[in-house]
Amino acid sequence: MIKVEHVSKEFVSAKKYQGLSGALKGLFSREKVHKMAVDDISFHIKKGEIVGYIGSNGAGKSTTIKMMTGILTPTKGKCLVNGIDPNKQRKKNAQNIGVVFGQRTQLWWDLPLSESFTILKEIYDISDEAYRERIAFLNRVLSLDDFFTTPVRNLSLGQRMRADLGAALLHNPPVLYLDEPTIGLDLVVKDNIREAIKEINEKYDTTVILTTHDIGDIEELCSRILIIDKGQLIYDGSLAELKETYGTRRRVTMEVKDTKEAAAMPLGQWLGKPEDAYDIEADEENSSIAVSFDKNQLQVSEVIGCVMQHMEVRDIQIKETELAEIVKEIYNHGMAKEA
Amino acid sequence: MRKKIKIYLPFLENEFKSNLAYKGSFYLFMLCYLFSPFINYYLWMAIYGSTDSGSIGGLTRDEMVIYVFMIYVTTEMVFVGISEYIREHVVEGSVVMNLIKPMDYRMSLISQAAGTMVYRFFAPTVFVWIGVEIYKACVLGMGITPLSNILCYMLSLLMSFLIYVLFDFCFGMIAFITTYMYGMQLIKDALISFLSGQLIPISFFPEAVGRLFEFLPFSSMVYTPVMIYLGKYSGAELAFVLGRQAVWVVLLYVTGSLLWRRITRRLVVLGG
Repeated sequence: MIKVEHVSKEFVSAKKYQGLSGALKGLFSREKVHKMAVDDISFHIKKGEIVGYIGSNGAGKSTTIKMMTGILTPTKGKCLVNGIDPNKQRKKNAQNIGVVFGQRTQLWWDLPLSESFTILKEIYDISDEAYRERIAFLNRVLSLDDFFTTPVRNLSLGQRMRADLGAALLHNPPVLYLDEPTIGLDLVVKDNIREAIKEINEKYDTTVILTTHDIGDIEELCSRILIIDKGQLIYDGSLAELKETYGTRRRVTMEVKDTKEAAAMPLGQWLGKPEDAYDIEADEENSSIAVSFDKNQLQVSEVIGCVMQHMEVRDIQIKETELAEIVKEIYNHGMAKEA
Repeated sequence: MRKKIKIYLPFLENEFKSNLAYKGSFYLFMLCYLFSPFINYYLWMAIYGSTDSGSIGGLTRDEMVIYVFMIYVTTEMVFVGISEYIREHVVEGSVVMNLIKPMDYRMSLISQAAGTMVYRFFAPTVFVWIGVEIYKACVLGMGITPLSNILCYMLSLLMSFLIYVLFDFCFGMIAFITTYMYGMQLIKDALISFLSGQLIPISFFPEAVGRLFEFLPFSSMVYTPVMIYLGKYSGAELAFVLGRQAVWVVLLYVTGSLLWRRITRRLVVLGG
């Protein structure tokens, strides 16, 4: 469905200097700053997939999306969306895609939503019958009825986002790009939007590419994720695999009588493992200790069993690493490829 | 063709409607704009008063009165800037939204400009125009302008409008390169008012300069329709000036397409 092959995008801008003297210097300087926003990225996306495209701010997500929609031309490499090169045949490609940029609206600011939809109907050349069917469907999943005749400028952010999503789907595009579709939304609206995306994907087999900073979006929607950092693709695989590979840390919290004694316990000796295989933290206030370790080196049952043999344990909590933490870790340290 | 009209007509309607939404500002602007033809009028009357010969540059005093006000009528409808929209779209980054739709950016801008033109025709240009005709018939005793002149004027006006917006589209492409162009817009406006005959009729310039000016597209924006209205062209000459306008429409259309293709290749989108 979507093929991205060795795509790079370089931005060139005039160099800026600091301060007033810098501003003057800038007038005469011809120095240019080159910035690789996207650096040699390749991936393929199959029909009907929901792919989460994540990365820290400025990592190059939006730039990639813009290249796939045909707005930006790659400096190097090639994209193919549904067999069409979006940069060569922008208008033809536009028929095949729906786009929502969460921070912008594609609706006409002064017009009621209903009129915006009528204009889009003409632009995308949708037949009356198909239009009626789509509106009925979108009404059901996004409940557009509540504000269908309100001018777009008077819509709340949540309503506007639903309206925008509706507008992007009106012509039943096989590919849907969502650039932060849940930004700034409350929990209920977020949930509605996610449900709607899921339903659309199931009913029409729409391919969805979604960028987001909300890990909830990813966990609920995406079967596959791509992680980009500093313009480079650092992870491409399923969500489960990511958790399997990077979410191997386990944290067992145990409530004990004497935290000091517990914190000093020679767990390594008892288990016959090296000291650096685990980490013990004591929490005096809650009179508990937390043991964290890699589940490939130690087993949860092993650790709990061993501790319980030596002291009285009142309560136990086991925590897996959350996806948010994995992602945070990846953003902070880049990708440890060997891991 | 019908499909195209169906796509772009809503843009025209939309622009017409949003023009109506800001009535207050419009009447204020109109008042300011009306100053300039009257200032021009008094200026020219002073010039004609101090000369002995009845006509300057081929225009009599009475024709000059018509010229000044018809310039106003013409420029009001022709000078509908679309480069401001382009600048806004580029600065705010909303150009993205226009590019993700299967439509022609230029066509949508021109349709918008047409909406403004239609609006300006009704408020207030047509009334100024009627006023000019009444003044011409009753005070100047020149009779009403013949219908054939008016029809040719309308045709010429339409082409003038196209020349202006197509030119302005090409000009607006600068926004994509520099992302800032307010100063250049001021220069453009000043140059056009001078070169198009808005300020001084082109026949007032020395012959060589006048020829050069007539060769440029700007004279076709304002000077040509007004001179047609005044009945200064007839027969082959009339066909020639209309043909020249048509050529400019085609030339500027092609130039705009080429520029657009080049520019979109190196497009930068601001803000997120």
